[in-house]
Amino acid sequence: MARILIRFNEEQVAEPIASQIIIEYKVPMAILSAHINSKGGEILAEVPDDILEKVVNAFRQRGVSVTVPKLIEVDSDKCFSCGSCIALCPVEAISLAKDCSVEFDKEKCLGSTCSVCVDACPARAIKSIKQNNSDSANREKKR
Amino acid sequence: MSNPSKTRTVEEINQKIRKGDAQVLTAEEMKKLVESSGVEVAFKEVDVVTTGTFGAMCSSGAIVNLGHSDPPIKIEHAWMNDVEVCHPGAAVDLFIGATNMSEKQPYEYGGGHVIQDLVAGKEVELRATSYGTDCYPRTALKTIITKEDLNQFYLLNFRNCYQRYNCAVNSSDETIYTYMSKLLPRFRNATFSGAGELNPLMNDPDYETMGMGTRIFLGGGQGYIIGEGTQHSPKNLNGTLMVKGDAKKMSPEFLQGGAFTGYGTSMYVGLGVPIPILNEGLARKTAIQDKDILTDIVDYSVPRRDRPKFGQVSYKELKSGAITVNGKKVRVSSLSSLKMAKKVSQTLKSWIDEGSFFLTSPVERLPTTTVFKPMRQTEEIPFVYSVMHKAVTCTEDEEIQAIAKRIVTKSVNHIVVVDETGRLKGIVTSWDITRAMAEGKKALADIESHNVVTAKPDEPLEIASKRMAQHNISALPVIDIEKKVLGIVTSEDVSELLGR
Repeated sequence: MARILIRFNEEQVAEPIASQIIIEYKVPMAILSAHINSKGGEILAEVPDDILEKVVNAFRQRGVSVTVPKLIEVDSDKCFSCGSCIALCPVEAISLAKDCSVEFDKEKCLGSTCSVCVDACPARAIKSIKQNNSDSANREKKR
Repeated sequence: MSNPSKTRTVEEINQKIRKGDAQVLTAEEMKKLVESSGVEVAFKEVDVVTTGTFGAMCSSGAIVNLGHSDPPIKIEHAWMNDVEVCHPGAAVDLFIGATNMSEKQPYEYGGGHVIQDLVAGKEVELRATSYGTDCYPRTALKTIITKEDLNQFYLLNFRNCYQRYNCAVNSSDETIYTYMSKLLPRFRNATFSGAGELNPLMNDPDYETMGMGTRIFLGGGQGYIIGEGTQHSPKNLNGTLMVKGDAKKMSPEFLQGGAFTGYGTSMYVGLGVPIPILNEGLARKTAIQDKDILTDIVDYSVPRRDRPKFGQVSYKELKSGAITVNGKKVRVSSLSSLKMAKKVSQTLKSWIDEGSFFLTSPVERLPTTTVFKPMRQTEEIPFVYSVMHKAVTCTEDEEIQAIAKRIVTKSVNHIVVVDETGRLKGIVTSWDITRAMAEGKKALADIESHNVVTAKPDEPLEIASKRMAQHNISALPVIDIEKKVLGIVTSEDVSELLGR
């Protein structure tokens, strides 16, 4: 499985592009998270490896931006492994290793579409990478 | 000393440390040894057990002496890296409180970070102002300092090392940001703090070996216990320590600033106490395990001193990552670092092993009967129950016409919709009725709001009032935990009482 971030602009969002591609390629696309409104938005999806290239090209042919995102950056010098983030993670991407170090599974992480752990880190060691067009990266942040 | 084989003294242990043959185990290792070989063997074989904890300890700080400027200043207000520091003494002694926040980066950088930066050898900007006197004429000052420029730089923490702490949950419908970190709505997560079986006070709960003058691991250097910590409450296993140590010799790894969104800043402190195993009783006590250490599950969404509790959990359950609250599985994570707590106990062990750390006998024991009293308050504050009154209600099967009539006869603006058992279903306002008339709507279902913002009877009125302002509404039905409607509180009630 590969993770892709699909971003729609204002015009594209009105079209059922994702549905068309799913039907055309018979691709079992798992939508991990999505933030979409009339002004555009993004979908984080999981696609089987064997059909990945075709799906990415199909989106790109329709002018939709597709990236394989780097979702999260953890500053291991800052992190002192308290673990505040662990229970917050909705996809259980964070865990305590045997030596009690906090470990991030970047394959599972939802990145900027979630970010629930970012403002709970007392060491400020977690950064979710804000993708272009993404206005949801810091939506959890308090004023 | 009736039976020499049944006790040993601190001096005997120090002799062994000098010769390099003291037997030192970390608290973690001691528990395993007692479990496998029993208390008697453990007492015979072990001289010292090292404990450790690494957590956010808000009642911490550092006292610094700057030396005099020329011309001299009697500092009145001062800031280090834009964090206001306290000036409690004569001219140039400052206290950096861990929770004071930067005026430029509040919630992100604070006194704990200033201390960490100084300990790390970084340059810190100091600004100060004063009113000027004949002997101290200067009124303003700006300079750059490092720890080397300071005469004294002592960590002076008045409450550290809480023996155990609450497990925090949030029963409300909104995410809350507390000193127990981010708590998701409706019990979607839980947090706890403390090292459990590794905590120093848990391993000597009767304060047999530690007291004023006990040498300890503090912030990566050596420090001392100087007395009971504030809020020390040993009888219910909530003991605390007051400690000091030379911060110039500490390490930024074991003293780190912490940032809690929506709450403020703090300082993570690494603290470890060596427990001399003077008798079998201490061998038994240091064998305490996480499963035997219980703490309360506390609802932090209730903004009161005595918050509702949902039973107890052990540190074993807390460290397992999930607990059960009200029959539901809740994922739980720690705010303090178990990894660092272990590192504290291991480092302290290695110091004793290599002969660079010797034990001390306390010159005075810590009190074991102190009680933590609540504040004496001479002025009462109003709560929701002080002003709430009976709600005018209706049920979902009633006609709009009937409800409109009730609004007029009862002279109210809000009708609370309830089911046959009195539980909250929705709310209808006079504005909703007006709109129904204008738009020709007949059914209550078309105009009733189901997303009702509510209040609890024992909430401070001020908080209920803020909630109304936040949601731009003028009344809150007051409900109990089962959503039964107890009454209603309106913005008129609030302004009558609070005058706003």
